[in-house]
Amino acid sequence: MVAIEGELPPTTAAPSADAIPLKLRRGGGSARQVFAVTLIGTIVLAVFASRDLTSWLNGLGDGPILAPLQHAAAEWDDAMARIGLVGPHDALRLAIRRLLDWEWPERP
Amino acid sequence: MLFPTSGFLFFFLVVAAAMMLLETRFAAKKAVLVLASYYFYAQWNWRFCFLLAFSSALSYGAGRLIGASTDRDRRRLVLGTAIALHLGLLGVFKYLDFFLLSANDLARLLGLQHELPFFEVLLPVGISFFTFHGISYVTDVYRGDAAVCRNPLDMALYMSFFPQLVAGPIVRAAYFLPQLARPSTEPIPIAPALLLILGGLFKKVVIANYLATGLVDPVFAAPTSYGAPDLLFAVYGYAVQIYCDFSAYSDMAIALAALVGFRFPVNFNQPYRAQRLREFWQRWHISLSTWLRDYLYKPLGGNRHGRLKAYRNLMLTMLLGGIWHGAGWKFVAWGALHGGGLALERLVQPWLGRHAQHKAARVIATVIVFHFVCLAWIFFRAEDFAVARLYIAGLGSGWGEGLQQAGPFMVALILIGMAGQFTPAALFEHAAATLGRVPSWGLGVTAGIAVAAINALGPEGVAPFIYFRF
Repeated sequence: MVAIEGELPPTTAAPSADAIPLKLRRGGGSARQVFAVTLIGTIVLAVFASRDLTSWLNGLGDGPILAPLQHAAAEWDDAMARIGLVGPHDALRLAIRRLLDWEWPERP
Repeated sequence: MLFPTSGFLFFFLVVAAAMMLLETRFAAKKAVLVLASYYFYAQWNWRFCFLLAFSSALSYGAGRLIGASTDRDRRRLVLGTAIALHLGLLGVFKYLDFFLLSANDLARLLGLQHELPFFEVLLPVGISFFTFHGISYVTDVYRGDAAVCRNPLDMALYMSFFPQLVAGPIVRAAYFLPQLARPSTEPIPIAPALLLILGGLFKKVVIANYLATGLVDPVFAAPTSYGAPDLLFAVYGYAVQIYCDFSAYSDMAIALAALVGFRFPVNFNQPYRAQRLREFWQRWHISLSTWLRDYLYKPLGGNRHGRLKAYRNLMLTMLLGGIWHGAGWKFVAWGALHGGGLALERLVQPWLGRHAQHKAARVIATVIVFHFVCLAWIFFRAEDFAVARLYIAGLGSGWGEGLQQAGPFMVALILIGMAGQFTPAALFEHAAATLGRVPSWGLGVTAGIAVAAINALGPEGVAPFIYFRF
């Protein structure tokens, strides 16, 4: 396929070239930092995307474990709505809906 | 369990916690990753975990047997048996009903009455990928390109590692297994990984999903209902959709592997900027195209036995590459188009070489290659041959009609997707370096807000990745 051996142009990455180049891997962090970033990201997501947390939990079905979680998620979403934190989410949804409805101007 | 879902986020949170707790205990870390990978796979169908385990055991056992023997015939026998068993599994689960359907069609053509019954075998997600992992391992051990894996845990992780398990990239044993031999001393590239995840989420959730639902699916479902401009934009849309869908998965797989301490190879490199079809294949699904080159094209003889045999080998490789994507003649046609295109390009190479220096010639070459790739995508995406034929016929007429389905937003998504093909790599590096200076809490907040925004911008729910079905 590709491959006409020995004819690879210089712009092409070798098959085993690392996707994240060495110079970007030098200044990294530890597994502890990965966990911290993931945990903080999850909390922030739960704050700003509480609508989706509720719909995701509701989509998992019913059950004795899920029911209280779904209830808690709904209360959490209500609380976020009361303090106005679902506003950005709703505004973005509205904006994208407008973009989807955008049409070409009528031809004369 | 799809990457861009809350379920996966909680799964990864547990994995990240385990990696933190086991930071200095490498064997335990690998064991946890194997368990996590099997749990991840079981979310589709737990029964197929046995298939994955069998495939891993087969590769492990064959590798040990090949490594233990100095007798060439015996080594070859073990290699042949292992490859036959791997391909046999793939054949049964992926191609059996296709073969039966083709046999029935042939029988009908010959006037025979008897029809073979179908088995309706359920396709295990990712089987094409882990089968190729297994074949590459035993072949590399046979060739001496990879060391024999003596630790069954390492083999289990190589075959099942969750970031690449269901849709690649196809990571070679010689590349990955040495990473399992000893813990990495390198720091974890958190900022570049986060950028890859966020970029991948945007490509999949916003670009690919909207293009699919808003343009590609409706037009391909009824191509006769649309004029040529819509058909043209829908095929451009599919070119961008499949790139954004598949490269997004690869980007996220690379990033997730990096976050648990492993390196993956590059899998996409702005393929639609290619000026040659050959170059397209050096930029598109690189791990598959190099796999096919090293385990199919070269063993067939490559270009070592004259021009005609090189064309034949190209054609065979691309036909098999086509059928790897799915059990259907439309994939064979897609492979044949690419094989024929590559052969033709090779044929006119001396002439092309003389005219390829001008900037205008390079732009024209990029446009031609992109449109050839789009033509092939019609066969890849259409339901069957009949639809592809109608689609191509529709492109030849009805140019006076306006755009019904390809609204301004869809066209903008196509342009954004295409613009990504021409952005300099330095931009990513600069962004990663800037993000790398942000403290962990800041990275977490940034990532959380960005994911929430992407999630709000995307449609409700996430469609499965296109390559899951391959």
